[in-house]
Amino acid sequence: MARMKFLCDAERCIECNSCVTACKNEHEVPWGVNRRRVVTINDGVPGERSMSVACMHCSDAPCIAVCPTNVIYQTEEGVVLHDKDGCIGCGYCFYACPFGAPQFPNGPAAFGARGKMDKCTFCAGGPEENGSQAELEKYGRNRLAEGKLPLCAEMCSTKALLGGDATEISDIFRDRVLRRGKGVEAWGWMTAYGKDKEEAK
Amino acid sequence: MKARIHSLALAGVVTLAAAMLAGCGERPQVGKLEQGKYAGKADTRPWEGGTFKGDKGAWEQAERNRVRAQNEYKRVE
Amino acid sequence: MLTRKSTQATGAARQLRSSAARHFGQTMDRRTFLKRSGLGVGAGALAAQLPYNLIGSADAASPEAAGAAGAAGDTSVRRTVCSHCSVGCAIDAVVKNGVWIRQEPVFDSPINLGAHCAKGASIREHGHGEHRLKYPMKLVDGKYQKITWEQALQEVGDRLLKIREESGPDAVYWIGSSKHSNEQSYLLRKFVSFFGTNNMDHQARICHSTTVAGVANTWGYGAMTNSYNDMQNAKAMLFIGSNAAEAHPVSLLHILHAKENGSKMIVVDPRFTRTAAKADYYVRIRSGTDIPFIWGMLYHIFKNGWEDKEYIRQRVYGLDKVREEVAKWTPDKVQEVTGIAEEQVLKVAETLAKNRPSTVVWCMGQTQHTVGNANVRAMCILQLVLGNVGVSGGGTNIFRGHDNVQGATDVGPNPDSLPGYYGLAAGSWKHWCRVWGVDYEWVKARYKSEDLMTKSGITVSRWIDGVLENPELIDQPGGNLRAVVYWGHAPNSQTRGAEMVEAMKKLDTLVVIDPYPSATAGMAAMVRKDGVYLLPACTQFETSGSVTASNRSLQWREKVIEPLFESKPDHTIMYAFAKKFGFADELVKNIKLVKDKQGWDEPETEDILREINRGTFTIGYSGQSPERLKLHMQNMATFDVKTLRANGGPCDGEYFGLPWPCYGTPELKHPGTPNLYDTSKHVMEGGGNFRANFGVERDGVSLLAEEGSASKGAELQMGYPEFDDVLLKKLGWWDELTDAEKAAAEGRNWKTDLSGGIIRVTMKNHGMHPFGNAKARALVWNFPDPVPLHREPIYSPRPDLIEKYPTHDDKMKFWRLPTLYKSLQDKVKDISKEYPLIMTSGRLVEYEGGGEETRSNPWLAELQQEMFAEVNPKDANDAGFRNGDYIWVESPTKAKLKVRAQVTQRVAPGTVFLPFHFSGWWQGKDMLEFYPEGAAPIVRGEAVNTATTYGYDSVTMMQETKTTLCRVSKA
Ligand code: SF4
Ligand code: SF4
Ligand code: SF4
Repeated sequence: MARMKFLCDAERCIECNSCVTACKNEHEVPWGVNRRRVVTINDGVPGERSMSVACMHCSDAPCIAVCPTNVIYQTEEGVVLHDKDGCIGCGYCFYACPFGAPQFPNGPAAFGARGKMDKCTFCAGGPEENGSQAELEKYGRNRLAEGKLPLCAEMCSTKALLGGDATEISDIFRDRVLRRGKGVEAWGWMTAYGKDKEEAK
Repeated sequence: MKARIHSLALAGVVTLAAAMLAGCGERPQVGKLEQGKYAGKADTRPWEGGTFKGDKGAWEQAERNRVRAQNEYKRVE
Repeated sequence: MLTRKSTQATGAARQLRSSAARHFGQTMDRRTFLKRSGLGVGAGALAAQLPYNLIGSADAASPEAAGAAGAAGDTSVRRTVCSHCSVGCAIDAVVKNGVWIRQEPVFDSPINLGAHCAKGASIREHGHGEHRLKYPMKLVDGKYQKITWEQALQEVGDRLLKIREESGPDAVYWIGSSKHSNEQSYLLRKFVSFFGTNNMDHQARICHSTTVAGVANTWGYGAMTNSYNDMQNAKAMLFIGSNAAEAHPVSLLHILHAKENGSKMIVVDPRFTRTAAKADYYVRIRSGTDIPFIWGMLYHIFKNGWEDKEYIRQRVYGLDKVREEVAKWTPDKVQEVTGIAEEQVLKVAETLAKNRPSTVVWCMGQTQHTVGNANVRAMCILQLVLGNVGVSGGGTNIFRGHDNVQGATDVGPNPDSLPGYYGLAAGSWKHWCRVWGVDYEWVKARYKSEDLMTKSGITVSRWIDGVLENPELIDQPGGNLRAVVYWGHAPNSQTRGAEMVEAMKKLDTLVVIDPYPSATAGMAAMVRKDGVYLLPACTQFETSGSVTASNRSLQWREKVIEPLFESKPDHTIMYAFAKKFGFADELVKNIKLVKDKQGWDEPETEDILREINRGTFTIGYSGQSPERLKLHMQNMATFDVKTLRANGGPCDGEYFGLPWPCYGTPELKHPGTPNLYDTSKHVMEGGGNFRANFGVERDGVSLLAEEGSASKGAELQMGYPEFDDVLLKKLGWWDELTDAEKAAAEGRNWKTDLSGGIIRVTMKNHGMHPFGNAKARALVWNFPDPVPLHREPIYSPRPDLIEKYPTHDDKMKFWRLPTLYKSLQDKVKDISKEYPLIMTSGRLVEYEGGGEETRSNPWLAELQQEMFAEVNPKDANDAGFRNGDYIWVESPTKAKLKVRAQVTQRVAPGTVFLPFHFSGWWQGKDMLEFYPEGAAPIVRGEAVNTATTYGYDSVTMMQETKTTLCRVSKA
């Protein structure tokens, strides 16, 4: 069974923001909402590294745990989604999320209605009919249902950002790490993969 | 199909909820309903409907191909 | 339940704190900084006015869609190519009911493997174009008003004809575009020739003109020798004056792949760029001192005997003179001038020498200097000494800028040459007249005189002087320019902006033909009341045509959507003006016309390419027929990523995009040339050698390659001159031509034989190179500095060095204009006392060129909302401002830029860096009111070139942008 994950390879990420605009493009995300962001540390000095961050689709997701209306759920593939119709825009998930993924737009139309939470969907839409207009307007495209993967990862300029089945992308990543001869440095690896994965290594 | 489930009341009564949904012809819900938390609308699985018409194997193969495309070593060497 | 949740929330809160620290605590990066400082302006003001562009509404808005909404049957996928840089990333555009609804990665493309940067990933916005110029407009009483196309063509045509009548055709200046397709650039060269002038140019002048001239004069062709892909074979890579991570992001896919496999990556730059952040080794250099650094490396290479002696003997001419100059650059001198310590120079030299093949990459950091042509030749010499040219994994990988700047340089509106670098001599004109099917005498009569027909025109970097200079000093009868046509070019990319508005004011007529009204519209309306016309051109996604990537590969763009609003493709507009000017029939003698949806005549792009094929033998643009290119676009998956060669399939053995030179006729089936001058391959398999373009001997020394050095399988394994009918007869090969070929080849050489017969016999039958086999020239005797010499920039921060390394002497007639060097340098010698900081400029990943197009795209604009300057903490403290403050950056021209300070170590003390993509502010004031309504870009800011100073390359008139001076103060 596929277990969907993102992984950003900091040795490759060049802070080009392709992942950010690909997401905007695919889901028509309005100005002010960023489902994905690129964070840079040591900006402008040796040791500068960038990572692209969105929702990590946590195995044991804090956002699900704290949601008072219980409208956040995890699919069989491990994608964390939520039902905007039941979202009350309280912001609990934002506080709980270690990555600051949930966003609360205040614009007027579809995405922003009553400040409902919006976040990365792993390009898997939401609880509406796959590929329907309703799904598109509330959650964006459903690429998983088209047999594709998140556009941010698919369009990453250097293939730094990987998205897909956890075992497969970690194989890709591990292969690179071996070539470079360094240890696992992927940012967020621990948080996203949890303890068991770490022990398994 | 997508009738909204006002299911705060149902939360925690998962088996019952699933049974009821099946009863009204709803698609089975996806996700960890067995934890007894999710109270939102039902969702379909990615391979259900449109593109894959329920063929999970085909969907998984498609996804594998897309992961491969993220690995340039597959093409370069 | 609540208790349980709150426990979890506490846990989460703890996580939040720690992760927040990880995210933002350690530093404030550029983007965070801008977001925070600019949010008030950006999000607040814009959220309300921005459309969500929801596909649903776009569908509904399109008339065709009205009845068909929801139907999936009419969705199609068109393959096109990103128009934002020379990497040439392929895009699959999904179109439904005529609306561009999605874009998908093209994993099959051997160039980008589906990858994009921020610009490519948001390219679909072109299908919305909310901020575009929607219909023709005219400046009336200081405001832009809508007019019809008819009126626009009529009035603009009348005005230009009147000027032509009164002052001669040379009084109109045409600025073409590196964003035009090959077909459009080619047609524009022809169009302006028929108007009767060589006063035309495009972005290449201010981008890589020094490269093209310097590199072509060294070994034959002025282009990137290898490819992005081939860098995977490099064992070491030196980037100098190139910030590829921001300027050519997808190239990093290949570069980081190489690095992962052990290639050493070195960056030499005044600024710690994002490319530097990825490098194994970074060296900080003083801006404008590349030659001393390169000579410093050669000093160590020669000292240690690391040069490739056999290669030099066989393939390099004139290196002794270089050795003499290099010997002067002892490590202490190098350090004095460049600021780089000996061990660093040695380490870079050693890395390149001991990890061969090694490659070098340069961009604007080398080219945009008064010594640009010498900088790039020094780089070529470095690679020749190491034996790295004509080798896979080596070469000079010169990353070009715009998507089609290579193509426009090759076949487009250049003031000094007809398409294919044929030059402007009478013989060249006659060659092209035969291709065009027009009478040479007719074209000659279109010009004011034969002299003006064969004399290079004014360059785009200097058009303002063409307007402002004393007419007596301009080397063209009739004197000043009176009209300028900006046909796809940003004004804020040329230096001396403060003087540019003066020039705009003085013009009789200013015409802008562009998808975006561009900064030209705003600047002109700021100083004029009338005489300005804006005509909407469409983008490359609304037409079809070929585009040449930096690696010389041609790709064919399918038309994605119909032109939006009232816009038209550039070649359609050219034809419409040709009708008005009275040379429509001549312009399209061999080109089919098709009617577009509104009944306009559109010259067919396929036919234009076929005409390019028929004439452009010099650089091998002759084999890339539209049919072959389209076949490549459809079979991308069959091409190998490392070699670009198709392995089986319908394009078997060919290189992707038939990288030029692709010699002979399409029927010859030349596969294209992946790496130039590569003797390890047969000429019919993309092999080659250095070009014999500079005679066969000089001062008694042969210029031809030595015995034993020739391309694989060549019948003569030695140097030989270029082929013509006489040589063919001498060798007894003449009878291998068919009768028809003989008729065409008689009295001609391989470049002018329209049958392609000479090329066929030479290459196919004898494995020889039609352009001969010579040595590369380390000594370019026809340039002002045959051996590259260090010369301090005109505005130098080091007055103490000016005496030792002075600039050139002034020139009186240089590209028709007097040009200052020494007299100006002497005048401003001590100006660094008042303006102590080096001012330099560069690229941001989100924007392209002048930036108007990309700053109009909300998905990009959101990411960079304000113009800024990078200043070192020391200089900021000295000047008394902090990160995020507004500051004034003032240059010796007295122009002042109001920008946000970003205080960062990215630049060294003494250097100020400004990105060059902004426009729409003028010395502290927002120019919004001067733009046509609704067509101003979302993000506006101060243009760095408003403040840049005087200074031009001594060969090509490249502008100096990378080293000038400024001072900073709190605003
Ligand atoms: S990253 Fe944040 S929003 Fe995403 S699953 Fe984890 S806690 Fe939830
Ligand atoms: S697209 Fe890739 S390289 Fe660019 S910022 Fe995103 S993760 Fe980094
Ligand atoms: S701008 Fe260049 S690197 Fe970016 S997507 Fe376009 S072609 Fe590729």
